[in-house]
Amino acid sequence: MTADFDVIVIGSGPAGVSAAFPLVEAGLRVLMVDGGKLAVVRPPTEGFLSARAQDVEQWKWMVGKDFHALTKRDAVSPKLRVPSQSYVFDDFARGNRINGEGFITIGSLAKGGLSNAWGCGVAQLSSNELAELPFSASEMRASYARVSQRIGISGLNDDDMADYFGSDEFLQAPIPMDELHTRLLHLYEKRRVKLHAHGFKLGRSRLAVLSADTSDRRACNLSGNCLYGCSRGALYSAVHDLPFLRKHANFTELSGFLVDSLKRDDDVWMVTGNADVERRCFRAGKVVLAAGTLATTRLVLNALNHRQSIPMLSSPTAAFLLWLPGLLGAQRSPGFGLGQLSFTLSLPDRTSAFGSTFSTTGIPVSEFARHIPMSRRYGVDLLKGLLSSCVVGNLFLPGQLTKARVSLKGDGSLMVSGTYSDSVAPLMTEARKKLSKAYWSIGALLLPGSYTVGLPGGDIHYAGTLPMRAKPVLGETSSLGEVKGIDGVYVVDGACLPALPAKSHTLTIMANADRIGRAIAINIRGSCS
Amino acid sequence: MRIVITGATGYIGNRLTSLAIERGLDVVMASRQHMARSRTSWLHFDLASSEVINLPAGTDVVVHLAANTTVGNALDEYGEVVAAQRLIKATEKAGAEFLFVSSQTARVDAPTAYGRIKWRIEQDVLAVGGCVVRPGLVYGGELRGLYGTLVKLVQKMPLLPAFLPAPKVQPIHVDDLAEGLLRVAERSDLKSGVYYLASPVPISFTGFLAEIAKTRLRCRRVFVPVPVVFINLVVALLGEAWRTRFGLDRLRSLFDLPVMTTRADLGQLGLSPRSLMAGLHPAGDDRRRRLLREGKALLAYVLKEQPSNSLLRIYVRAVEGSRGGRAFGFPGIFLSYPTLLSLLDKGSWPEATVGREFVWRMDAATMLAETTLTGAGRFLGSGQRQEPLTSILLITNALAGEAFWRLVRVFVSPMLRYSLAGTKGVS
Repeated sequence: MTADFDVIVIGSGPAGVSAAFPLVEAGLRVLMVDGGKLAVVRPPTEGFLSARAQDVEQWKWMVGKDFHALTKRDAVSPKLRVPSQSYVFDDFARGNRINGEGFITIGSLAKGGLSNAWGCGVAQLSSNELAELPFSASEMRASYARVSQRIGISGLNDDDMADYFGSDEFLQAPIPMDELHTRLLHLYEKRRVKLHAHGFKLGRSRLAVLSADTSDRRACNLSGNCLYGCSRGALYSAVHDLPFLRKHANFTELSGFLVDSLKRDDDVWMVTGNADVERRCFRAGKVVLAAGTLATTRLVLNALNHRQSIPMLSSPTAAFLLWLPGLLGAQRSPGFGLGQLSFTLSLPDRTSAFGSTFSTTGIPVSEFARHIPMSRRYGVDLLKGLLSSCVVGNLFLPGQLTKARVSLKGDGSLMVSGTYSDSVAPLMTEARKKLSKAYWSIGALLLPGSYTVGLPGGDIHYAGTLPMRAKPVLGETSSLGEVKGIDGVYVVDGACLPALPAKSHTLTIMANADRIGRAIAINIRGSCS
Repeated sequence: MRIVITGATGYIGNRLTSLAIERGLDVVMASRQHMARSRTSWLHFDLASSEVINLPAGTDVVVHLAANTTVGNALDEYGEVVAAQRLIKATEKAGAEFLFVSSQTARVDAPTAYGRIKWRIEQDVLAVGGCVVRPGLVYGGELRGLYGTLVKLVQKMPLLPAFLPAPKVQPIHVDDLAEGLLRVAERSDLKSGVYYLASPVPISFTGFLAEIAKTRLRCRRVFVPVPVVFINLVVALLGEAWRTRFGLDRLRSLFDLPVMTTRADLGQLGLSPRSLMAGLHPAGDDRRRRLLREGKALLAYVLKEQPSNSLLRIYVRAVEGSRGGRAFGFPGIFLSYPTLLSLLDKGSWPEATVGREFVWRMDAATMLAETTLTGAGRFLGSGQRQEPLTSILLITNALAGEAFWRLVRVFVSPMLRYSLAGTKGVS
């Protein structure tokens, strides 16, 4: 059986493109397929604050001509209500036949995947964390460097969070902070020793956001449109990598192709799915799965015909509002909409939490007005006076604290269910107390009643369903992400991570995908020569 | 359910047929001429002929609406009665139920032949255990029947008669009547008898014409008092031929209408007929007007100023798109004094579904109000200088306002519950 391609990569998100680069650069014939959804509503180009003051049609990109924001009123995150980002999330569960029971299941059929609407947080695994992986840390470090250089990362190498994020020689200068965050950091630096003793560390966020122009993308200009989509390309999205892949003649792309089955036929893999109304099938020697943890897992379980449920990792989350009384009445000014400062917090049971704080400017005030226990009329007044001196924060706990399971149903759909483990509630309470105390000592009040624990699955950081092991059993993958029982199928997205710490995991996924892609290229080339 | 409708192309029959098709009923139109209408079948039925009627197999209900409407037709008084008897016999043979649509004027001693004929047929129907519906003054929809005549009259004549004493009418919108007829037809537990479907409260005929002028035609009309005595004189003088030509008989029957007690029957069928004003609205109901009123109140509540027309239109479109265009149904006082919405906002509702609908509308109004230029100023302080002092004032005012309304809420909460009791959340 002749193969149409050497490798088929399913998914054009950060994992898919990171695996594709080494394959394509080695001269292999690569086909990349994805759900193909593209942006339909253009994000605003002028700065957020000036657009709000001048654009008569602002409701079209804030609420949507089809009232998207109202339709998604009950969705767990404001991101899901942004009309210009609806293409990122639409149809994922239906198209991939995934159902959640008490668990939020979000993914993407867009070109570039969820990286079109992410917080851009990046971090490397620590030496201890790398030691837990069934392959050498130096391989990962090399991959981290390659990916970091390719996508452009900004931050600091020498503050209290630098260790946590990992040392990176290619860092660009961090995105400038606003007045609120500058003050927080300043006060923190005076009290850092005491705060360290209590397990709280603060530092500049590490983000895949450009602070200096590159050949095809422009640096962040603090327009504040981050939530609605970056028209400058400053925020990394896998979409920005695609033009470079396309330069290679051996790279083929097929959009709008939803894969639903993998079958072995002699020594090739048949990848079958729906492209619009047609059913199509492609053959390749190897298949790289990068469709996102949920979709990838469904394809693998289907191919294995594995009906037992398998565990999944997902980070419990919380959000809170901090008020800086010292800056009450601060003038609202254009600024960055994603994380400006990040923190780690030591909690009982050797748990380490991670979070970041953001400006409130780019988030619609209605999002806050809904939740504060005041009638909207007066709530809006209160927020008008208060929000300009507030920052929003989020918190992530390690992924093993959610007891989630996925299983393949009789009809081939994937059922996801999960609850938080019993230790989550007390940990969250402890976290709130510690954060309250820590921030108060640096001039910020954690507003009572604002600390909200998220719903299971709300992190959208699902991982670990097909973990990499040195000696994998059925339902696991090898140190190269190759699925036990189906040789030639490799998992490179979150599904293959054996652990999910609280820190941002996208860079780790990308580095791992790069490592695996490299290894596959060597494997194929090696077997040819 | 298979339903045979005679007079299916008439004023009422047309609406009844449409509604029955919408409900997925198997409709058979019975008429003289072959009627081709999608999703219906046809049965030949002629009031004048004496041929045997063969109802199609599986017929469950026969609704008899057909009447001799052509003025000056050769069909005599008994022709209609005989035709009805034929139809009743065929219905019995088929084992189906008979529903006869009669008239408010039906009486054994009715002054018009029309009323007497209806009464005779009623007796035959009741004798075999069928149901009779006596509708009030049917209006709305297409300009046909007596309603059509009246609207055209109001349209053409700048001066209209205000009869003294004014006869009272009990209107019912043709769609509400059609709904009622279907419910009678579908309910197998209804006892044989006469059911009255009309507005429970009679209104003066003059008032009815005035409402047509105001709501349906949006024109002004002057009413000239006309003593009834005068009319009777004219009619007596004109003679039979002129009477039928001008349909004066019909007009005269207006003066003879017995008052119908309809509440019990409406209640039994679960029918809530729409108000006359809503029913006469060209669109058939005044949803849009109510939505605009609702939007105005909600947006003014959030913005603390009158919303612009474009924002209002956007709100209406949002509700039309996502909530089927139904107004929430706020008690009027909240619509007239939007500040009072503070009493409802973030409060609890007696019924959870109503509460959720309220929150949806509030969130929608808030989001849409925010995303305007005015909203940018109100929500973000865009274009305004912010200083610690103004912020403190803003915050304290907000907290004071909130505290005030919370306090008021405690005192008026029983009254609130009472005024909200009827709110269904969608109306």
